[in-house]
Amino acid sequence: MPQITYIVDGASTTVDADGSSVMHTALRHDIAGIVAECGGNAMCATCHVYVENGPLAALPAISVAEEEMLECTLSPRAENSRLSCQLPVAPTIDGLVVRVAAEQA
Amino acid sequence: MTITAPHGITGPRSDLDVFLDSELLDPWAGYRQLRDLGPVAFLDRYDMYAATRYDAVTHVLRTPEVFVSSEGVMMNDEMNQVLRGNTLCSDGAAHDASRSVIVKPLTPKALRPLQESIQVEASTLVDRLVERGRIDAATELAQHLPVAIVSNLVGLPEEGRERMLVWASEMFNCFGPMNDRTINSFAVLGEMMEYATTQAVPGKLKPGSWAEAIFDAADRGDVERDKCPVMMIDYMGPSLDTTIFAIGNAVWYFAKHPDQWDLVREDPKLIPSAINEVLRLEAPIQAFSRYVAVDHEYEGVIMPAGSRVITYYGAGNRDERHYPEPDRFDVRRNPTDHLGFGAGPHACVGMNLARMEMRALFESLVPVVKRFELHSEQRALHNVLRGFTSLDVTLHV
Repeated sequence: MPQITYIVDGASTTVDADGSSVMHTALRHDIAGIVAECGGNAMCATCHVYVENGPLAALPAISVAEEEMLECTLSPRAENSRLSCQLPVAPTIDGLVVRVAAEQA
Repeated sequence: MTITAPHGITGPRSDLDVFLDSELLDPWAGYRQLRDLGPVAFLDRYDMYAATRYDAVTHVLRTPEVFVSSEGVMMNDEMNQVLRGNTLCSDGAAHDASRSVIVKPLTPKALRPLQESIQVEASTLVDRLVERGRIDAATELAQHLPVAIVSNLVGLPEEGRERMLVWASEMFNCFGPMNDRTINSFAVLGEMMEYATTQAVPGKLKPGSWAEAIFDAADRGDVERDKCPVMMIDYMGPSLDTTIFAIGNAVWYFAKHPDQWDLVREDPKLIPSAINEVLRLEAPIQAFSRYVAVDHEYEGVIMPAGSRVITYYGAGNRDERHYPEPDRFDVRRNPTDHLGFGAGPHACVGMNLARMEMRALFESLVPVVKRFELHSEQRALHNVLRGFTSLDVTLHV
């Protein structure tokens, strides 16, 4: 099973990616700071993460809908900003490291 | 093209009449029966598949390349023709283009400046109703914010706006199969489409309104000009009844479960969770549909190209395979993944506004109302919507 590392307030936690997305996996492991208010539909910008390391090329491109929501994040948007609900879990994302945005909603 | 049974139906079938009055008013046992038959079951009376398990509904909604919207998401092809080309009934790049226009005023960022005025409006309303004591919550409490605030933001001409509540409800009735309810509603739908085509036009729309922005987008070439009337329906249809019914459903649940209202009163931070729980238990829109574009197998059932599948949000939300004790109202459950707003690329574009309206209302109710005492209720008998036309309640302070 692929593994994902979440950095929350500087502390790293590595978990098995047993959810359908990086957001869903975070919820399953009670990773703090992922609110996911809209349930994973790219509608709320409360699962904002910064992709810090790992197989970046394996991640899907930012869709039109995700782009719109990334304009709405409370923590500043950066080059590596993503909505974690739009990052599906697949064997290819093994080793992904994301930093959870401090402010979500 | 009409909806007909595909050749060689395999997998489970059911002769349940899901649109019978009694089923619409109390669908839960029927939903359970369908869920227990399999992930999807073919409805012999309607020649469509029904997806009722949570995983099946989300699979259909999140696989838009197979289960397309551009052939319509309604359950009769006349209606699928009427709304052809609006945001709801489109896929891929065309959907991206029109959704971008519709979503602009509805993003969290765009809505932030509205929050305060919605809160003020909600608290003024609650003060007024509390003074009265006994009210019709389905109209006096639930309709105010959507009608007073949202209609203004959409910016349609005043003239005819008073018909909007009727139009929106009748339009959603036309989403059903060609039964008497649908046939009767088609006459009123004509009025709404006429208004969208002849009245909701530049010059008559409020300057700076959401509706006007649709025409601005057409002027820029972002969407086709002839799509503007059906795109008006993207705002006119779902901005009223759905939120109104959700508010009424919440009041009904709190009246029936005073212990849960107490929990919310003790900890108002539970309001968002409680709202999600109400939307889970009583999805204001119970079902839409998708057209199957290519043969598709899901958990052993083959749905042939050309068939249609009804996506039962209301049934998925009560699937015990996904939610333990699914019929129990638990304000602490916080089921953010409920299907009350749909899921996938066509998830409700107005969900942030709907949540904002509902939160404002219940945040205003929590400090003052100790009990909702329900005297009587009248449920709407509707093809796809679920809610109340009247809720006679006393607000105890």
